[in-house]
Amino acid sequence: MIALPLGILMFGSILLALLDGTRKRNGWIAVAILGCALIATMRLGWHIYDHGVQEMAVGGWDQGIGIVLRIDLVGIVFAVLCQLVLLSALTYEVIADVGARVFPALVLFMAVGLTGLTFTGDAFNFYVFFEISMISSYILVNYGESARQFRAAFVFITVNLLGSVLFLIGIAGIYHTTGFLDMVRIREQMPLVQENPAILTATIIFVAFSVKLGLFPFHFWLPTVYTGTRPAVAAILSGALANIGTYGLIRFGVDIFPRELEAASAVLIILGCASIVYGGVQAVSRHAPAEVLAYSAIGQVGYIMIALAFGGTVGLAAVILYSVLNSLNKTVLFLGISAHGWLATAAVAIGAFSVAGVPPVGGFFAKYALFDLAISEREPVLVMLIFVGSVISFVYMFQMYRRRIAIDTGPDAPPVSKQSLQAVSFTLAIGLIVIGLFPEPLIHVIQMAAASLTQGVAP
Amino acid sequence: MPQTPPPTIVPHGMIKTGARVFLVPGWVLAIAILLKGYADIGDGFAAGVIAAVIVILQGIAFGAEELEHIRVARFAPVMCFIGLALAYAVAFVPTFFGYSILTHFPRMNEHAAHFGPLEFITPVLFDIAVFLVVYGFCVGAVMTVARAELRHKRLLQRARKRGGNR
Amino acid sequence: MTLVFSLAIASLFAAGAYLMLKRDLIRLIAGMIMIGNAANLFIMASALRRGTAAILPHDGDDMADPLTQAMVLTAIVISFATAALALVVVYRVYTSHLSVDLGELSLAEEEQSELDEPRSEDIVETEIEEEVEAMIDEALAEVPT
Repeated sequence: MIALPLGILMFGSILLALLDGTRKRNGWIAVAILGCALIATMRLGWHIYDHGVQEMAVGGWDQGIGIVLRIDLVGIVFAVLCQLVLLSALTYEVIADVGARVFPALVLFMAVGLTGLTFTGDAFNFYVFFEISMISSYILVNYGESARQFRAAFVFITVNLLGSVLFLIGIAGIYHTTGFLDMVRIREQMPLVQENPAILTATIIFVAFSVKLGLFPFHFWLPTVYTGTRPAVAAILSGALANIGTYGLIRFGVDIFPRELEAASAVLIILGCASIVYGGVQAVSRHAPAEVLAYSAIGQVGYIMIALAFGGTVGLAAVILYSVLNSLNKTVLFLGISAHGWLATAAVAIGAFSVAGVPPVGGFFAKYALFDLAISEREPVLVMLIFVGSVISFVYMFQMYRRRIAIDTGPDAPPVSKQSLQAVSFTLAIGLIVIGLFPEPLIHVIQMAAASLTQGVAP
Repeated sequence: MPQTPPPTIVPHGMIKTGARVFLVPGWVLAIAILLKGYADIGDGFAAGVIAAVIVILQGIAFGAEELEHIRVARFAPVMCFIGLALAYAVAFVPTFFGYSILTHFPRMNEHAAHFGPLEFITPVLFDIAVFLVVYGFCVGAVMTVARAELRHKRLLQRARKRGGNR
Repeated sequence: MTLVFSLAIASLFAAGAYLMLKRDLIRLIAGMIMIGNAANLFIMASALRRGTAAILPHDGDDMADPLTQAMVLTAIVISFATAALALVVVYRVYTSHLSVDLGELSLAEEEQSELDEPRSEDIVETEIEEEVEAMIDEALAEVPT
């Protein structure tokens, strides 16, 4: 059962690699495969909700010898999130006509990587799956094949390859200091490791994931890439691939390096604040919608960092909730801004409200969780900062929306896109509203996941 | 943009002879390395690289057109995906029978049929899959570029001829 | 031994980082490969035990740590695949822009965004380029599966 989603995706990706992805029919086959995997993952999630962490030792070896597939609630939340984002982006692109024969196959390969990443309990396997998704993204960034895409691709490949190499070095460091690759055993062994090697390894891994996330001092590649690529690819990068960063920071930071994370909380808060302010100010000063969204993504990462710095069950729940909603927001917005018509405009409006954190939409609860956290930690400066950040995000989102209306009603308005194309982002936007109206189930699951992480026990 | 035609490199006769002479022994060596992995050092990965290098050498010596005539080179991309499917099958088929993923049969300490030092066990299948993937990837990547390059060259010649007439 | 390893890793990483700062795409990729190899060497250096080959240990001999070797093999394959991929991308850049310089690529991008008409003296050249691009697209579409 634990292997079912991975199996569907792996065989599906081979099938699609052999088919011509530019045909409509093959595109829909890819969508169906991804949909099946999503259903299987959700079923697995239900099982985990009832019975706790699922494990499977590869090759039928005893626990402790073989490589382990292990999935808990946090993993399943991220797996479902990534697959949902990939499914929306793929559906969007299939409706809009796929321009490259490998596109659906690549999306499926990336789904393999992202799902495997959340399913593994082995640090090195984490790296392997991480690279599967990164390599597919390297090719996806080229999708479109104009000078812009090539340049974006080179920036992306160079920076992220450096990030991957750093991560690999970090894993070698973990192995050398603890002698294990299984994450649970590393966690048991980590307190015995001397302080300096642990801090060094933790820093290297933190930098590696921050590069993926686009946190403030490591953000420089992000605007070029997000504006240079096609909207569906930008949605995949910001909605699905950036989750590697958050998930990795949770897995490695909270799980393996809790001591170092606590020591670095001041640094995290400073970087987070810098990210919020920098991203917000830059986003306000930009005009192209993709650029606004790219800088907004840098800003949003800051909130995640601040929540991560506080830690604890409440802080972690805020991290997960925020990254889930942030991914959905970004997907809605990136898919929405590239389509034209009233449905897409409505989706952009809902997504914009969600980013700004206006009540009936899901994003409100993400911001609310952060406010709650900052107030309960008695940090008035942070409360102010989060508030100011929200106001800034409201301003740039409003500007973006107004410009869009001006363009759409202007003399040379772009032609209205297909209804079905607009419907993709609109459906997700409706999902955001539903989350906003009935947040209890999601919040409940996420709190349970966060509790299982901090207490180190199966729920 | 200034455009200088890339210098054409004519391979030395030695390379041509060597490439031809080593084609079959190279493959024999690759298969030997693949199979002896069960008794000694060697595995599908090394074997795949050796087989790929031998085939790519043909392309270097006789030009990219030659690769199209070699059947194992022409179908390299397909071989890559067949290998991947085979590897996944070895990994996932046990899960249908209630074993964990990648369980190998016969199990340890069970009797395995063998032919000389070669044992008929599922890890051999997996290693063959690795061989196919590595070989297919190496040759397939080179083939893709070579094909594009061939067309590019043919096209430039044609276009230049037409441009000169004008 | 540790010193030799660290010196080798440091020089590989430094050389790679230096090459990565170049505008020439081929050098950039060479830099990537070198940095990848620095990481591979680092994994080798992080082995917990040294000794004879990790296959078929003789009694009493110290066996080398097999885990790092498995890891490094995987890492080599991954960096090899990435390097091959990056080279293919460079090749595509070269065929569509006839240059492997990042500076010229960004110039081409500016030209493209201006969407200007081709100047008359360049017409033959641009025609060639366009035709080449079309043919390459066609070729890519025809790659047998």
